[in-house]
Amino acid sequence: MSRESHSIDALRDIVGRLPTTRDEDWRYTDLGTVREISSRWLAAGRDSLALELQAEIEAITGGIDADWIVLANGELQGPVNVDCAARLDEAPSSGTALAELNAALLKDGLRIHVAGVHDKPIGVLMIDGTEDASVSQAYVEIEFAPGASGDIIEYHASEGDADQYANTVVALTIGDAASARHLRIQNRASNHVQTGRTSVSVGRDAKYTMAGFDLGGGLIRNDIEIDIAAAGAEVSFDGLYLAGDGQHIDNHTRVDHRVGPATSRQEYRGILNGKCRCVWNGKAIVHEGADGTDADQADHNLLLSDKAEIDAKPELEIYADDVKCSHGTTVGQLDETSLFYLRTRGLDERHATQVLTHAFAADLVARMPVAAAREALASIVESRLADLLDSDPGTFS
Amino acid sequence: MLEISNLHCSIGGNEILRGLSLSVNAGEVHAIMGPNGSGKSTLAQVVAGHQDYAVSEGSVTYEGKDLLELEPEERAREGIFLGFQYPVEIPGVNNAYLLKAAMNAKRKHEGLGEVDAFEFLKLAREKMATLGMDPKFLNRGVNEGFSGGEKKRNEILQMAMLEPKLAILDETDSGLDIDALKTVAEGVNSLRSPDRAIVLVTHYQRLLDYVKPDVVHVLSEGRIVRSGDKSLALELEERGYDWVREAANA
Repeated sequence: MSRESHSIDALRDIVGRLPTTRDEDWRYTDLGTVREISSRWLAAGRDSLALELQAEIEAITGGIDADWIVLANGELQGPVNVDCAARLDEAPSSGTALAELNAALLKDGLRIHVAGVHDKPIGVLMIDGTEDASVSQAYVEIEFAPGASGDIIEYHASEGDADQYANTVVALTIGDAASARHLRIQNRASNHVQTGRTSVSVGRDAKYTMAGFDLGGGLIRNDIEIDIAAAGAEVSFDGLYLAGDGQHIDNHTRVDHRVGPATSRQEYRGILNGKCRCVWNGKAIVHEGADGTDADQADHNLLLSDKAEIDAKPELEIYADDVKCSHGTTVGQLDETSLFYLRTRGLDERHATQVLTHAFAADLVARMPVAAAREALASIVESRLADLLDSDPGTFS
Repeated sequence: MLEISNLHCSIGGNEILRGLSLSVNAGEVHAIMGPNGSGKSTLAQVVAGHQDYAVSEGSVTYEGKDLLELEPEERAREGIFLGFQYPVEIPGVNNAYLLKAAMNAKRKHEGLGEVDAFEFLKLAREKMATLGMDPKFLNRGVNEGFSGGEKKRNEILQMAMLEPKLAILDETDSGLDIDALKTVAEGVNSLRSPDRAIVLVTHYQRLLDYVKPDVVHVLSEGRIVRSGDKSLALELEERGYDWVREAANA
């Protein structure tokens, strides 16, 4: 079905079927804002004037050196001049109402095919900014050929201050013995809403290493779905979320171990300050016969304010015999002894808090898989952390 | 320099220090000895400003200022250094960063500009060499994965870089083998100066074989029960703490 055939009514119908907090997977995340932005946009004739980008890509992405492809308000900017990438007409619409919305409203899809060893990271900048409220879709299909190796960077940003809703889907297929490194940075404006799905299918002896950094946004929901359907797969992903006043960041992850032996590990870390809410739900399903599975999941949170809330829930479903699975979640404040130690060295409480908070995040930056972007990422994270601590200092002290 | 008078202090409702008085002058090295649980570490923590200890009576003045009014970081910037019995591991914060931040906090307080990067490195390498520390430790997380001896050396390195006026070293000798003990003692001795005071808190007298104290105090049940010169430490070693305790109660 091409997008022209969707009447406003048909679109309203899809929006009406988006998940609500009555759905178990959406208990903590209310898409009311999505429905509201969508109906304003539909009522205005699905038209809102795109803002011109005020800065160069380098400035927006903190100087990360990559071959960038830009999707602004869901439209490809200029011809795609990265060899292995091409425009796509359609997105698959099967499944959820969110996927349906994505397929129905998609303007430009993108397909990236990585073969051999690709040295320079391929970056996809998804940026939204229009004069009035608007809705955008992105669909990016990334395929790593068998034995291929490369880096993918996904950067989500905002332009201007109108309300925006972005619904993005990134679907990766990692071929046998391929090695994919994936960095995802979400640094949207505080009134922007995003639902983002990352689905990954991992081949035999393939390696998929991902790190996601949620640094901005108003209401953010990420769904990471990883499917291990061949033996020898090695999956590792980290996530860092920094949330301040008014932010809501929800990470739902699901790893399906269908065949063993294979390993998956995930570690999320959250730093929350002010009145905000974060959700982490990590599900691992070890299917019947997936013997030799080794799955580990963890979520650690630093709550710097008593108004911050985290709902962390690991879920393990195991239907095989020979498996090694572990999970752990922690929620806490900064270690008092460490704070005292730093203060006896002359650092004031604020500085000591900053140092310890930074250290909590630094590990994930240090082991982030896309080496070429590490320095830029470190400075983006550092500046966002400084803002976060400034926003509501010492609520807990 | 440091004047403690009739100090009473408790933690979680338990009174640990019960009328402790102590006077330390610039240029002196004092040793505070005592059995486990006598309040040695509490004394060190209170002087450094740990907020879990509640002072109910008495006073602590440092260079004429009411020390109890100052935050831990203010005390540090005024020249007080506490060498921890159990130095804290802080993964993700590298040693060089902490040393620089600590030096700069103090320099700022003194109206000086930030330490020059080149000077800092030169000084740090120099001090590390005398302490037998590999310069690589500068880029490691603070005390992260350090052995007991390495942690203590790292405390002495921080002290050497910060050049405090009053250094309190809490059980710096514990867990050290004889070579490490000698190195640490040399580090402490190199900081002896007419305008600096050093307080060694220790359970055993073996550190005092290498760092000769001017005054030795015996702490028992939250009070100093006996003070004397170095021979007191030797006597203690021979006769045990029960001897002082009995003498105090007699």
